[in-house]
Amino acid sequence: MRRRSWISICLTALLILSLTGCGRQENPKNLITQDSGNERVVNLFSPMEKTDPNAENVARAASDLTVAMAEEQLGVSVEYLTYTAETYQEKTYDDVCLDRVRNNMDDIYLLNPDAIMTLGAEGLLMDLSGLESAKNLREIIRAANTVNGRLVAIPQEVVAYGLFINMDIFKECRLELPSTPEEFLECCRVLQEHGYETPVGANRWWLETFVFAQAYADLYNGGNTEAEIEALNSGEARYSDYMRDGFEFLKTLMDRGYIDAEKAAVSEAIEAEGPDFKAGKTPIVMAYWGAANAETAYGKTDFELRVIGFPSSRGQMPVIPLTGLAVGAGAEHREDAAKVMDVMISDQALQIYSETNRVISPSRNVKVDCTASLEPLNDRIEEGVYVLGSNAGMKVEQWGNTCLIVRELLNGASVDDCMDFFDRLQDAALNP
Amino acid sequence: MKDIRNIQKKYKGFTLLFYIILIFSIFGLIVSSVSRKISREMSASAIQNLSESLDMMKGTIEAILRNEVEFQSMIAKELAKTENLQDKILTYERNQTMAKLSLIPAGETEGVSNTGEVFTEEGLDFSAGGTVRGMPVSQSYLNYMGTWAYTVKCPVEREGITIATLYIEYIYDGIDQSLPNGFYNEQATLYIMDAESQRFVLKPKGMGQRTAGHLNLNDFYHANNIQDPEIRAEAQNCLDTGQDALFYHDIRGVQALNYMWSVNEGTIYLVGYVPVEAIQQEGKTVNQNIMIVVASLLTAFFLCIALYYRNWKQQDKLRQEQEQERKIHNCQLSAALQAAQIASESKTMFLSNMSHDIRTPMNAVLGFTTLLDRDAENPAKVREYTKKITASGQHLLSLINDILDVSKIESGKVALNLEKFDLNDVVSSVDAIIQPMAKARKQSFHLEVSGIRHEYLVGDETRINQILINLLSNAVKYTPEGGQIWFRIIGLKQRSSQYEHIRIEVEDNGYGMTPEYLKTIFDAFTRAENSTTNKVQGTGLGMAITKSIVELMGGSIEVFSEVGKGSLFRVELELRVQEDAGNQSFWASRGVSSILVAGGSAQSRESILALMEGAGVKMEAAPDTKTALECLRNGLECQLVLMDWEDGGLEAAKALRETLPENVPLLLLAGADAEGLEEALRLGGVDMLAKPFFVSAFRTKAEGLWSEETAMEGPEMDDALNGLRFLAAEDNEINAEILTELLEQEGASCEIVENGQMAVERFRDAAPGEFDMILMDVQMPVMNGHEAAKAIRKLEREDAGRIPIIAMTANAFAEDEKAALDAGMNAHVPKPLNMEHLKRIIRQLEQGKDGKA
Repeated sequence: MRRRSWISICLTALLILSLTGCGRQENPKNLITQDSGNERVVNLFSPMEKTDPNAENVARAASDLTVAMAEEQLGVSVEYLTYTAETYQEKTYDDVCLDRVRNNMDDIYLLNPDAIMTLGAEGLLMDLSGLESAKNLREIIRAANTVNGRLVAIPQEVVAYGLFINMDIFKECRLELPSTPEEFLECCRVLQEHGYETPVGANRWWLETFVFAQAYADLYNGGNTEAEIEALNSGEARYSDYMRDGFEFLKTLMDRGYIDAEKAAVSEAIEAEGPDFKAGKTPIVMAYWGAANAETAYGKTDFELRVIGFPSSRGQMPVIPLTGLAVGAGAEHREDAAKVMDVMISDQALQIYSETNRVISPSRNVKVDCTASLEPLNDRIEEGVYVLGSNAGMKVEQWGNTCLIVRELLNGASVDDCMDFFDRLQDAALNP
Repeated sequence: MKDIRNIQKKYKGFTLLFYIILIFSIFGLIVSSVSRKISREMSASAIQNLSESLDMMKGTIEAILRNEVEFQSMIAKELAKTENLQDKILTYERNQTMAKLSLIPAGETEGVSNTGEVFTEEGLDFSAGGTVRGMPVSQSYLNYMGTWAYTVKCPVEREGITIATLYIEYIYDGIDQSLPNGFYNEQATLYIMDAESQRFVLKPKGMGQRTAGHLNLNDFYHANNIQDPEIRAEAQNCLDTGQDALFYHDIRGVQALNYMWSVNEGTIYLVGYVPVEAIQQEGKTVNQNIMIVVASLLTAFFLCIALYYRNWKQQDKLRQEQEQERKIHNCQLSAALQAAQIASESKTMFLSNMSHDIRTPMNAVLGFTTLLDRDAENPAKVREYTKKITASGQHLLSLINDILDVSKIESGKVALNLEKFDLNDVVSSVDAIIQPMAKARKQSFHLEVSGIRHEYLVGDETRINQILINLLSNAVKYTPEGGQIWFRIIGLKQRSSQYEHIRIEVEDNGYGMTPEYLKTIFDAFTRAENSTTNKVQGTGLGMAITKSIVELMGGSIEVFSEVGKGSLFRVELELRVQEDAGNQSFWASRGVSSILVAGGSAQSRESILALMEGAGVKMEAAPDTKTALECLRNGLECQLVLMDWEDGGLEAAKALRETLPENVPLLLLAGADAEGLEEALRLGGVDMLAKPFFVSAFRTKAEGLWSEETAMEGPEMDDALNGLRFLAAEDNEINAEILTELLEQEGASCEIVENGQMAVERFRDAAPGEFDMILMDVQMPVMNGHEAAKAIRKLEREDAGRIPIIAMTANAFAEDEKAALDAGMNAHVPKPLNMEHLKRIIRQLEQGKDGKA
């Protein structure tokens, strides 16, 4: 009986093959499929992926999933355009973003805080407050991305910066996790004694996080935030007064050799300090939350990893700069771009994003668990203890300017010189 | 020989397998080489195709560059016609390809752009020496729009004198719009590289992965793991000389064709890769189709082989089955032939025996008739001769009866005549027949009955008798003088309350049988042949008849025997119990409410109590006479005492008789050979009941005890036919004469008619009471006996329905008797006529008539 079934199946398969072979008819007329010709395209400008060939970037993959969701829902095609500076002499990604937004080259941009602040102030970014999905945003996100009353950017994740600690080395050196600047310096001293000549791996981008932690620990956590910002915006208070301690702290780190200033001044993020950190040669680096999940950064280490906040008078302090997606106000496909944005920041999309990337979501409706290594940082954020690396409410743009002034410090400027820069910036902002 | 054949077969199998493998190997080789050839050709074709595609793109880009330069030349010429060059340049607006137009007057280092900004050559690098149509092209750079651009400078000449230099900045995005939106089904990756800086300045839409990109050639090498120094050196050499490069290299585990395609004499390069799979798609498709065709052919081939093999297996199986069947047939035929031969031999032997057996009494008959004729005057000798003639005739008759029985059984014409009967009658009649035979041979015959619960049964009494007599007569025959014969009737556990399960055992310590003979004992026409038994006369049909009858009754028969030790025949039958057997009023009508059973074996007492169950009498049992006496002295009341003679004998009988009141009779249960019984019987109020105990016999005896009449009908029996008038229908004159003579000798008269018709007519015309009975032959001409009987019964005469009609026929079987009774006759007597039998029948009929009366 079974044998008969097999024979029947084989004969049927042969018959089907024969029929399919004979049955197809060629179209006798025009052999070319005509394109509809009215495909809707939205251009997305973002940093270039520059990675190990076999590595997968979780963060990028998470973003791609939300893009694909938008494409499917809206029937549009999102084209990726990309740029990353090859060397420090080249134009930075932020510079290129400014140029491209100003020349309406693309529709959606992934912008850093300073670019958001600058372009928002220039009125070149579309007001996204009308998007349905924008209603779900956490208030702090909305406030930090509002320039002149316009919601000019929306992030897909709350990017928190922290110190990435090699716990194996700390345990080897019998060190506790540092909370204050003094404790941090002591850790560095001990580490140096243990042969780690440069205990802190740095690049030209993220050293400012040390400064922000110390500068604004009280401002954002002292219960008088609005008044203090108002005082800064009115000129009653000086940014240099807030920033000085942080810069002096950085200077101490540099002077004591805890940071290699020369190297940091010409190093790109992660590329320079990453390999040594992963190899266990550098005990401490600074990076963003997602780096703890991304294979391309510190997602897979051979040692126990802990991510903590930066040292400050109020203990370990996460720094949140809030990058975001923005739509060019003069973009060619601005309507479609806004629709794409609406999908990309919807709760459904952010849920996928956050679950894939294991990050804090900007939507108050989306919550996911973080990895064990991020727990110290996450606990502080959950407690509401953090500082913002950018704030559209401040008249002086913080993230980009501070970064540039830190570079001056790296290049040999004194702390006083750096404070002068801040004073000039503040004066320029208050008296345009 | 068989081994050699097996080896040859095996060798043939290997050879066939070898050839099949060889054919398939060649076939596989051809398919593989064709496939490889196709792959090679398709690969070469695809490489050519890729080259052409790249050439096409190269041509497109070069055309764009040429057009840009030509257009720039035209602008320069137009500017040359203008007086105020700088004002003119401000009137130009940027478009999709031209991002910025700038002009530096001759001899100056600063100029102006169409954006109004001051323009210098600073930041533009023309050192690489790249040109388009002789005009210098700068190295690529990021322009003010944040996109990659290059600048071409062209002199503005008026009347052969250079008055200024026109710089136009072009963006690569313009080239993107002229390139195809992906190629090789968007599986190919393509970058436009500035040769000098080796920077990737454009990734056209649809070229490569959307989410991946590379900064420059090094990054490309790194990302795609192109580390082979030879390849890299070769690629670098091509870059230096402005030549094209095409090489195989795996990209993330996929074999790919990598290319670096020179554009505009090597100032720009198209860099990227195409997976080989994408290039050889057609080849792969063709190969896949070839494989499908080959697989289909192979499937079809193997299917055919499978079908052929299946068919062959089926045929082989069929052939084997047929062979097997033929063998079985042959065996059966041989067996049948053997059986037929044996049967033939048996029948020949039987005929020979019969011939002898029939001739022997026949010779006696004829011999004695001769002697009779000679000694007719001597009455003593006549009586002696006639006695011997009768004995020989009887023997002859039994022989003929047996032969007819077997013949009927074999043809399946035997029917059982189921009637009510009493087991006591069967046992008594059998005992009466066998006991004298055993005595004659000085054998001890033991009759034992135990465990029987019901003696009134339904069955074919005649056939049961036949079984028992066959077995017992055989036992007598095959047991030497002085031997022992046991006849046991055992009541087994009932399977149903409506059936008595009886086991009959006939055992002897006679000659016994050989195992070989035991196998054929129940076959017809066989007889144990040996020197001992040759003396025994018989047809050899008895056991076959017995077995057939037992099986016809739904019973079973077994035999156990050993030569020199004797035989045991065991028959088991289930006979239906008569429903109305228990006549409770019998004992009550005689005032008997309690009976004491004294002595005997426990089994015997139990058997008596079981048989008396339902008789309406309270049965008391005492294990011995002593206990019985005690019970009686203690006031036990009973109307009858049944004492086992063997338990105490005369003394016990006396003691009981003395103890019992006079009106209470004492019955002694004793065997036929009991000694001293006569004295006991003389005690008065004592009678004897023959063993084994049966209720019917007990009742008959009890009837006698309480009846005042002492039936002494014996002398009258001889006058049974005296004065009776018979009408006899008999077509055979001799038989008619014999009948007339015999009846007249008994004092009866007889009128003979020749057939049934005449009998009917004679009776119809006869005066009432003219005939007392009608004797009717069955097989007669004109009208047979059955029809005649029916016709007589239908006559409108007062005595037509009641006149006894007795069938006389040579057909002596039960079914013949049944047919006669069904025809309305009252009884049946077999021919040759036995006067005693006839008288007994007539007496019964007379009694019946009286009873009715």
